[in-house]
Amino acid sequence: MSALEIQNIRKNYGAVETLKGIDISLQSGEFLVLLGSSGCGKSTLLNIIAGLAEATSGDIRIGDRSILGVHPKDRDIAMVFQSYALYPNLSVRRNIGFGLEMRKVPVAERDKAVQEAARLLQIEALLDRKPSQLSGGQRQRVAIGRALVRKPQVFLFDEPLSNLDAKLRLEMRTELKRLHQMLRTTVVYVTHDQIEAMTLATRIAVMKDGRIEQLGTPEEIYNRPATLYVAGFVGAPPMNILDVTVRNGLLEIAGSDVTIPLPPRYATIGDGTRLSLGIRPEALRLAAEGAVGLTLPAKVEVVELTGPELIATARIGGQKLIACLAPRTRLGEGESRRFAFEEEALHLFDPTTGLACEGAP
Amino acid sequence: MSGSWMTTRAWLLMLPLLVVMVSVIGWPLVDTVRLSFTDAKLVGTEGNFVGFDNYAKMLSGSNFQRTLVTTTWFAVISVAAEMVLGVLAALLLNQQFRGRTLLRALMILPWALPTVVNATLWRLIYNPEYGALNAALTQIGLLDAYRSWLGEPNTALAALIVADCWKNFPLVALIALAALQAVPRDITAASMVDGAGPLARFRFVILPYLVGPLLVALVLRTIEAFKVFDIIWVMTRGGPANSTRTLSILVYQEAFSFQRAGSGASLALIVTLLVTVLAVAYAALVRKAAGSTA
Repeated sequence: MSALEIQNIRKNYGAVETLKGIDISLQSGEFLVLLGSSGCGKSTLLNIIAGLAEATSGDIRIGDRSILGVHPKDRDIAMVFQSYALYPNLSVRRNIGFGLEMRKVPVAERDKAVQEAARLLQIEALLDRKPSQLSGGQRQRVAIGRALVRKPQVFLFDEPLSNLDAKLRLEMRTELKRLHQMLRTTVVYVTHDQIEAMTLATRIAVMKDGRIEQLGTPEEIYNRPATLYVAGFVGAPPMNILDVTVRNGLLEIAGSDVTIPLPPRYATIGDGTRLSLGIRPEALRLAAEGAVGLTLPAKVEVVELTGPELIATARIGGQKLIACLAPRTRLGEGESRRFAFEEEALHLFDPTTGLACEGAP
Repeated sequence: MSGSWMTTRAWLLMLPLLVVMVSVIGWPLVDTVRLSFTDAKLVGTEGNFVGFDNYAKMLSGSNFQRTLVTTTWFAVISVAAEMVLGVLAALLLNQQFRGRTLLRALMILPWALPTVVNATLWRLIYNPEYGALNAALTQIGLLDAYRSWLGEPNTALAALIVADCWKNFPLVALIALAALQAVPRDITAASMVDGAGPLARFRFVILPYLVGPLLVALVLRTIEAFKVFDIIWVMTRGGPANSTRTLSILVYQEAFSFQRAGSGASLALIVTLLVTVLAVAYAALVRKAAGSTA
């Protein structure tokens, strides 16, 4: 039995269809990240699971019961909000214990649960402070503590790290990962940050325009994107997408006379087919002089050293090609160089449907 | 640019306002203080210096004490009722329903009406011969015969309080509504997930956001209610049998009806002092409330 079952959920706001039939089945202990840009419907879906918005049709089941129409407090869920949503006039102790207080849990039991959550989150020293006396990171820990003490079946996180600065976000991300590894709870987590998604999730649902573009493990999403959108959305810098045409077993890069062999797994694709070729920037490396194998010649326009890597932006037949190289790579702007890659790093998509081309296994 | 030139320029820019304030507020105030120590009449005599006699006479007189009690009743009950009604109306108008915008606009109407119009309207409603209140109450069987609501000492003050509330609760409702709209949606949602019912949600989630703005409304309305004059003057002139006479009416009667400018001035200053004490106490409360929700 699934811990959370989302069945064909649709949501309309007037004539606008925000969710267009979402199906997800989540096993106990899974960490599902709903990933997508603003307006894709991920927060709406989370609010429907929480009971803060109503679905137009479909069903959601937690354990063996349907929760649509059930009040948020009776759904056995806890939610952490982007803005922390702490009660400003209550102490940290009462904030964390508020859900238990509302459920008339005896004081001694409540105090024990609050202490336990505070110990886990290392905020024991802050229990008597008010939220206004805490930093952003501390407030987020309190918000997580408030969810933890309830021991619900499903935790919902709505972009919980978005309001934190970059350093704190990294710390809290690790903290969340540690907590999940320790507690093995079922989590649905909304974010537009792909690094958060990749590092935290056991599965990612990439959403676009109210639909799931791809649902899979972080490794599947990254290495085998199902659509052009997923390929472009996940990864920073995003995957290079080049217009190509199949000609006599070769892929001809549009706007140039450069060709590369069509990988054997795509051998069934007919001659003359126009495709989108995807290759991740980190799959490219600078080819040595006279090197054999797959290479793309390109003219380097911009070189940016970020510290851990060197990002080269080049042009091939008028199309942009980005490569993430080792930081000590000797490369100058204006140079014409060859970028090498492995055949497995190459992805092909149908530009009309946006879907990945089926390759032989 | 030097600091001293900036200061001089600031004073120069403020000068026209200072001149106006000194001539229309400062000088009359100083003259009222001077008058309060004399036995001056409104016309005829400049009056002789009598020290604190006017103050002693006013404070020890039964008229002042009885009027102070009436004023306090009027202020406390009407302001309390306005606060409760205002918050309830704001909570209602903060809900999503059809016609909410129209209702919000209509609610402001009583407050937008001039006090004299409001008072005249309520005098018509309370009219002992053709008033709407008498008609409604007799028709639904709550009243056997028409009553003179403003003509009986035991109902006149309550009738005035109702009229005052009707006019002023929209101000409280507007302030409360603005505060309610500032309550973050996430906090309300969090409290729902946490299992807070409507009462707990109001107490723990909404009320902290209302306290500060409501204290401001409380300060404004208490001071105004303590100084109330116009609505009472139009509706009862302080009667019947002085049952609705408030401090401002007493000041008016003393200074203008009985033409005792000296004792009228001392009474006016006593009222000013009382209102100032109220204002200072409330200001401290507001500061404390603001500090606790910061």
